[in-house]
Amino acid sequence: MIGGYALVQRSEVSLKSIMLVPLVTFVLALLGSMVLFGFLGAPPLEVLYRLLIDPLASAYNISEVVIKAAPLILIAQGLAIGFRAKVWNIGAEGQLIIGAVAASVIPITFPESQNILMLPTMMLAGMISGAAWAGIAAALKTRFNASEIIVTLMLNQIAVQILYFLINGPLKDPMGFSYPQSVSFPPVAMYPLLSGDGVLRANASIFVVVLLSIVALIYVTRTFSGYTLLVGGLAPSAASYAGFSAKKAVWITLLIGGAAAGLAGVGEISGPIGRLQPSLSPGYGFAAIIVAYLGGLHPVGILLAGTFMAIVYVGADGAIIDVGLPPAAPVIFQGMVLVFYLASFALVQYRIVRIQPEARA
Amino acid sequence: MFQIIRAPLLGAVLSMSWSGALFAQEPLDVAIVAPNAIGDVGWDHEVVRGKEVLEERFGEKINVTVIDSVGEGPNATRVMNRLVANGTDVLILGSFGHMSDGLALAKRSPELKVLHIGGYQNLPNFATFTTRHYQASYLCGMAAGYATKNQQLGVVAAFPLPEVLGILNAYVLGAQSVNPDLKPVKVVWLNAWYDPPRDRSSAESLISQGADVIYSLFPGTPSAVATAEEKGVYAVTTLSDNSAHAPTKHLCAGQANFGVVYADVVQSVIDGTFEGKDIFAGVAEGAMEVAGLSKDLTEEQRAAILAKQDAMRDGSFDPFTGPVMNNNGSEAIASGKTLNSSEIKSMDFLVEGIDSRLQN
Amino acid sequence: MMDTIIFVLAGAFATATPLLLAAIGEAVVEKTGVMNLSVEGMMAFAAAVAFAVTYQTGNIVLGFGLAVGASVALSLVFSVLVLAFSANQIVSGLAVGILGLGLSSLVGRNFENLTMMAPANLSPPVLSELPLVGLILFQQNAITYLAFAVAFLTWWFLARTRHGRITKVVGEDPAIAHNLGFAVIRIRLFAIIFGATMSGLGGAYASTILTPGWSDGLIAGRGWIAVALVVFGTWRPLRIAFGAYLFGALLLGDLAVQATGFSVPPQIMTSLPYVMTIVVLAAVSRNALLIRLNAPVSLGQNFRPSK
Repeated sequence: MIGGYALVQRSEVSLKSIMLVPLVTFVLALLGSMVLFGFLGAPPLEVLYRLLIDPLASAYNISEVVIKAAPLILIAQGLAIGFRAKVWNIGAEGQLIIGAVAASVIPITFPESQNILMLPTMMLAGMISGAAWAGIAAALKTRFNASEIIVTLMLNQIAVQILYFLINGPLKDPMGFSYPQSVSFPPVAMYPLLSGDGVLRANASIFVVVLLSIVALIYVTRTFSGYTLLVGGLAPSAASYAGFSAKKAVWITLLIGGAAAGLAGVGEISGPIGRLQPSLSPGYGFAAIIVAYLGGLHPVGILLAGTFMAIVYVGADGAIIDVGLPPAAPVIFQGMVLVFYLASFALVQYRIVRIQPEARA
Repeated sequence: MFQIIRAPLLGAVLSMSWSGALFAQEPLDVAIVAPNAIGDVGWDHEVVRGKEVLEERFGEKINVTVIDSVGEGPNATRVMNRLVANGTDVLILGSFGHMSDGLALAKRSPELKVLHIGGYQNLPNFATFTTRHYQASYLCGMAAGYATKNQQLGVVAAFPLPEVLGILNAYVLGAQSVNPDLKPVKVVWLNAWYDPPRDRSSAESLISQGADVIYSLFPGTPSAVATAEEKGVYAVTTLSDNSAHAPTKHLCAGQANFGVVYADVVQSVIDGTFEGKDIFAGVAEGAMEVAGLSKDLTEEQRAAILAKQDAMRDGSFDPFTGPVMNNNGSEAIASGKTLNSSEIKSMDFLVEGIDSRLQN
Repeated sequence: MMDTIIFVLAGAFATATPLLLAAIGEAVVEKTGVMNLSVEGMMAFAAAVAFAVTYQTGNIVLGFGLAVGASVALSLVFSVLVLAFSANQIVSGLAVGILGLGLSSLVGRNFENLTMMAPANLSPPVLSELPLVGLILFQQNAITYLAFAVAFLTWWFLARTRHGRITKVVGEDPAIAHNLGFAVIRIRLFAIIFGATMSGLGGAYASTILTPGWSDGLIAGRGWIAVALVVFGTWRPLRIAFGAYLFGALLLGDLAVQATGFSVPPQIMTSLPYVMTIVVLAAVSRNALLIRLNAPVSLGQNFRPSK
């Protein structure tokens, strides 16, 4: 209701227009970034080439896209289940960290182990501990009605401090000259690489991610509890009518989200990083929120959105080196994508109508 | 400033070429990777300043690319790989956190030569480099010992890592060598490389406890130095001459010159004599020197400091010569013994006269 | 020892100032039922702009002005998304926050690691010479006094004025407020702009007075502490002011304790504000009446005046 205009929700939003949103976002973000990059003195077309084409132009770059996409998609799939039910888990970053820290205890305790069960055990440990960390928010929400938004936000900050404490103390490599990092993990703690030559870093974790995306798809479209979570978001009463209490929805969605983020944490330490260190994630937990939204909170959409974001990330690193883009540019681009998405999403959902003067009370 | 990256623009699709082979006429491609944004003083500034020395010495024979704000983590690997794919022959890595990624890259690309600053692992094509910053620190300690009126020194230090402990210990030994009346030195550990508000608060906290010389030991920013200036106490710094941030109260700085070592390494690559060795360079090599000495020091005091520096240069003096006591009461360095390089690099004690305890 | 105590007690005011400003701003926004999670981004952008302008022109007033302008500009993007397009508040806040952080790195890039002199603190003639109290209370920067004055005025506004009560009604039940004839969207817009102004002041204070220098990442989570403070203070300005002072003292206490030779793991001190916030939130949310008295009921929900 600004300037005599208001948005009125369309009674029916066609599937076609929903599909249009990412496309509009994409075009707007590209235009916006061309203006921005041009302003920063980088040739816009060159930058576009680096951002979108170059990341797919070599086996190495594609492998990097896979590495980057895996955690984004995994976390976003978990978060989307919660977001659909209007459970606001903003704490994936902390859940990722806790998952990684807990899982890292195994290879740090048995650095010489050759037991092939180590990685599966770590994955389990990561999921359980990530879920447990998110479970704190679920418990406080269901027992005390404490906002999960605030609690998960706070738990992010606390998780970082726990990581710092442990990596400067018990989990530190005793032979590492007291630098804050753990021993390198043994091969059995690592995801197997997809190519044997050691050049490409992409590893088997992507299969886990794709598999879980399929599970998520089946869960939300084919199962009763997935359906109720979908309904639960729309109206609490509808969810309870379907025999599914609001409390249960809070627990299930937070535990799933936490487990997914924890597993993503294992993917980082058992993948590209190969040890525990103070910086585990360049904000995957927050970027995954963007991915979840960009993917329309739908498992297939998230798969596409995660891949797109990964392409842009990898492309941005190239653009920084090759065309002199400032390192802040990809961050701004990320923010821009989300802003445009939110705006264009609103525009397909609502119609702009002129309000008659007498209608304004 | 946006154009700080002078990259060889390779046009269209980059092939996955891992060869860093030298062709007769082609200039040698050198890339320097710095972990943070580049300021006018401090770690990243010094990492990148080495470029000037290289360009001056080798001119057209080399091409130097600088990339900043590449912290540790998965992105660092991608950036390094990209540089190598673009044809980089010599990669200079400016952060401890670049170590494992750099090692992996060096293993895969035998033609590539890597110089890593601040690490401790080597490969035939992966050399490491640490400055003997403790030498300059001893000299600045002397300056602090001369300048303090309250007999109270305060230190704002990053992490209790061996290199930092060495610098801190040498500083205190230097101060004690000229001032027997010194009170136990107070230390605040930031446990961060980078937290300007805490740099400042730490300095203020030390000043409130009577410290009249503040040693800013590797905090990421000149905040502690500027605070000292503002509060009217002396500032001592690491890495760069910080006089610009404390025009009247800058007492002394350990000035690092990474470029000297870069140049030697690049020369060895050109000559084909590169070795994956452990370089530990200090005053003798020109990699460290004392700078920005305050005018408040007397002629004699400055002369004493510079004489000590000369003694370090010709090898007749070493700060870590026993007897030195540990601050827990035991003996740290036996009488007549001098610590060797690896002992200095794995230092895990604080000397007597430091009012702080190590956690582990 | 006395010096250390005075350092912590006096320093806590300075440390608390940016937290308090941003938290009061956010509290007012949340009182109207809007949650703006871009506080960290707004503070960072404002801090970069304030330092850049003040460093270039030497005019700190201009620096503060443009910093507030930058912060408000960001908040207008947020307002369009949330108020005009009814986009999700949480996601919109995060999006604008990311944008702000990116812009702060961009603006600050040419000013990395530069420092300047902090402007002198106020020291009113008689008061500042009082023993102890003078040192602790009356040698602070003008902005610090402003921050506590803003907290008090906000309390007065919300509790004692008609407009304050309207503001709260908007946050309690926007539909009722609308039916009563109040312009819900406009009130929320004003609140968001006020919040951005406060975040902007807080950010500018951090980079020009508290730590007169710029480095990327200068705000270092202070925006999130401010968001926590709003909850810790149960949306009440005076409690928030108390909380800000407490958090400020905690941040300094760690350093002061260290300098006396003892050592507490710093991570424990750093976590404390967040842990305390969770505890307080659980305690006030537990009781339906308590939470109704404190937290705005419609927090996070958009409102569209459909009819």
